[in-house]
Amino acid sequence: MTPPSRELSLKLLGSVPYCDRLPAGRLLPPVGIIPGDMRSLSELHLLLAPDDRSLPGVNFNTLVDWVERVIGDRELADALRETVENTTSYVDGCLKVYELVGLRLTQAREVAGQEVLT
Amino acid sequence: MPLYGYAGKILRLDLTRRTATAIETEKYLRWGGGHGMGSALFWDFCRDKTITDGRHPANVCCIMTSPLNGTIVPSAGGRCEVVGVGVGMYPISWFTRSGFGGRFSTMLKYAGWDGIVIEGKADKPVWVDIRNEQVSFRDASGLWGKDTWTTQHEIWEQTGIQSETKHPWQDLRELGLLTKGHRSGKDQGQTTQKSAILAIGRTGENQTAHASLIHDAGNGAGQGGFGAVWGSKNLKAISIMGTGSIRVADSKALIRARMVTKEKYVSSWERPDLRSWTRLGGFPKPIIQVPPPTQDRRPQSCQGCINGCRTRYNVGYGNESACQETAWYGPFARKVAKTPAENIEINLKAADLVQRYGFNSFLFQTGLHWLEHLYEEGVLGPERKISSKLPWKEIGTLGFAEKLVHALSTRTDIGADMADGWVQAAVKWGREKDLHTGAMQFSYWGWPEHGYDPRAELEWGYGSIMGDRDTNTHCFNQIFTTVSAAFAFAMPIRIEAEEIVNLHARKLSPYAKGRPEVLDFSDPNMYSEAVAQLVRWQQHYCRFYKQSALFCDLKWPDFYNTNTPNMEGATASHDAGEQVFWNAVTGDRLTFEDGIELGRRIWNMDNAIWVLQGRHRDMVHFAPYVYETKYEKGELFPFYMWPCRDEKGKWSYTDLMGRSLDKGKFEDWKTIFYRLEGWNTKTGWPKRSTLEKMDMGFVADALKVAGRLGDEET
Repeated sequence: MTPPSRELSLKLLGSVPYCDRLPAGRLLPPVGIIPGDMRSLSELHLLLAPDDRSLPGVNFNTLVDWVERVIGDRELADALRETVENTTSYVDGCLKVYELVGLRLTQAREVAGQEVLT
Repeated sequence: MPLYGYAGKILRLDLTRRTATAIETEKYLRWGGGHGMGSALFWDFCRDKTITDGRHPANVCCIMTSPLNGTIVPSAGGRCEVVGVGVGMYPISWFTRSGFGGRFSTMLKYAGWDGIVIEGKADKPVWVDIRNEQVSFRDASGLWGKDTWTTQHEIWEQTGIQSETKHPWQDLRELGLLTKGHRSGKDQGQTTQKSAILAIGRTGENQTAHASLIHDAGNGAGQGGFGAVWGSKNLKAISIMGTGSIRVADSKALIRARMVTKEKYVSSWERPDLRSWTRLGGFPKPIIQVPPPTQDRRPQSCQGCINGCRTRYNVGYGNESACQETAWYGPFARKVAKTPAENIEINLKAADLVQRYGFNSFLFQTGLHWLEHLYEEGVLGPERKISSKLPWKEIGTLGFAEKLVHALSTRTDIGADMADGWVQAAVKWGREKDLHTGAMQFSYWGWPEHGYDPRAELEWGYGSIMGDRDTNTHCFNQIFTTVSAAFAFAMPIRIEAEEIVNLHARKLSPYAKGRPEVLDFSDPNMYSEAVAQLVRWQQHYCRFYKQSALFCDLKWPDFYNTNTPNMEGATASHDAGEQVFWNAVTGDRLTFEDGIELGRRIWNMDNAIWVLQGRHRDMVHFAPYVYETKYEKGELFPFYMWPCRDEKGKWSYTDLMGRSLDKGKFEDWKTIFYRLEGWNTKTGWPKRSTLEKMDMGFVADALKVAGRLGDEET
């Protein structure tokens, strides 16, 4: 992906209004499916971080639409769309989305002059 | 004739008079132990069974053990059952239950007691000091206001217990334990143990609906609000030190069954079958509940358990918290955490926070999302309709979590309105509509949806609403988690749908043996007699095996196991089934079906108490959103896989998301359920004929006097 503009970078690193939140959850046995809306890409990145006790819950189609419509990053949305259409499993999709979103956040932080976290 | 498995006495504490007396356990043997005995004791000792708030002085709270506690029965030795009228439920607080693990129940038995009946109200704060047969009421004014961990440490100090590991051995004489109450001659006058303490924190002291009972660092009895019950009785803590042991009827049979369990279920750390589907063994699943030991963490378990589902961390926080309390703040911590490590740190410290306050974080599972919704919608906050000065903009920080838990625990800020219950607060705030839209997902009896939505997983939802609380019984729900995880990873399906329902049906004796259709949750079958039989089996099984014998909910029943050639799980098996362990310990000759029947008797006792409290079938319904909105298709998780039949009768794993319940059809299902239970179908009240067949004519008599005995129907 090409580096985002400064304006888009700030948007990528910010939060969206409550009404624009992305529904998501987490399957944590034996607790069950725990709801947890997303209001930023960095939240989404943490949700998707690999964890041996639980699985993230997200609808890929809704996610791609949210990135394009709410976050306003068409390039990331296109990359995500292509990625989720070519995964071997839901978990594989989560891992690839995690990597892509992480990459985009890194790009945005570099452009915005923020510390790049790992 | 010795009572194998039992200590022989139940401790009766009258806090008003500050008396401690003994009740012979033998009188209550027909109820098994745990919940069954607790219900029977409540029936005998609660003088006003119409009370609907657990903080009423007439309430009786029983802390009960099982014959299996303190033995080596796998995943059954360390649970403890709490019963009594609860706090904060809606529309009224039922006679209800909770449970916790650890070592409290075993220590209670080693001290010579099968349970504790707590009556009355102390005139000022007390804690109860139990050392074998010696029981004393101690002044708790210096402990009042202190958190559960500090309370336990101070009680250890006051009783001379050296809790640090540098003092491995202690002299029983110095601890006041070499008295006539000393029960063992095999300990050389020394012990490595420290007393087991059950305590409340500030949440309980202030008698709020969110109050838990906490033991050690992370064992909690949350649902039921029993912390508020203790607070209302001015009871801060109970400390137990026991030096006895439990007689087992047939130790060879017990060890044999335990060895069979080991052969069937223990997984190899070196070559684990990561794709196996089983339950008792714990470790190998597509996603794992129990992390393997590392340099950073060590498993920790209830006494006698083979699994170790809790953890102690080298970082020094989050210790012994393992379940919902480690996750309640997760969706909010992600808003502020910059790294996965920081996210975990906030989560674990938030877990410590609720443990120390004695706060039931389960209410936050959907409840905190509702509060956030009210804030974001401009309804809750400073100078808003629902006034709150909490820093809602900082939600996700540990600082906000502390302020929120403090407010709710001390009846300050919104905590003043929420102290009697969350749905009660919604009504007070004029927010009933949130129960229609689903903004507030409190599905049954004022409790939040657990994470297994009643619109998808029927036995969970139906079992909860026909009972007294969120059922929190994972009898069948491993099907969902295991199968859905396999689908998520695109891993091989180890047990196909038709086979898995048949494996279950083999063990669903007596009501559903050989009837795999009871597990068919498809739309055409969801209001059927078959599903009613499944729910009955679950309720009866749990009332005895899980809540009275105290087999751990997370490990039993065990229906399938790919480690064995025929994939058969341990439940009801001739060599490692529940009844095998029960009989080895107690010397009984119980069949598996006898245990289900005993569970039915206990379930009927509970229902009779609910009816005396005011229950009628017209009250038995879910929150409106369960009927009026659909379970969002794939938004919280991509699918909810469950075995279902198609129109041709072919079984396959099917996604259950995307539907709601039909209220009219659910009413019809209730009628089926009541008929099968032998309860009046118009009222849900028990019939004399049903009760007398279970030798419970005395219950029918009491219902008759109260004008609440169900009419006989032809």
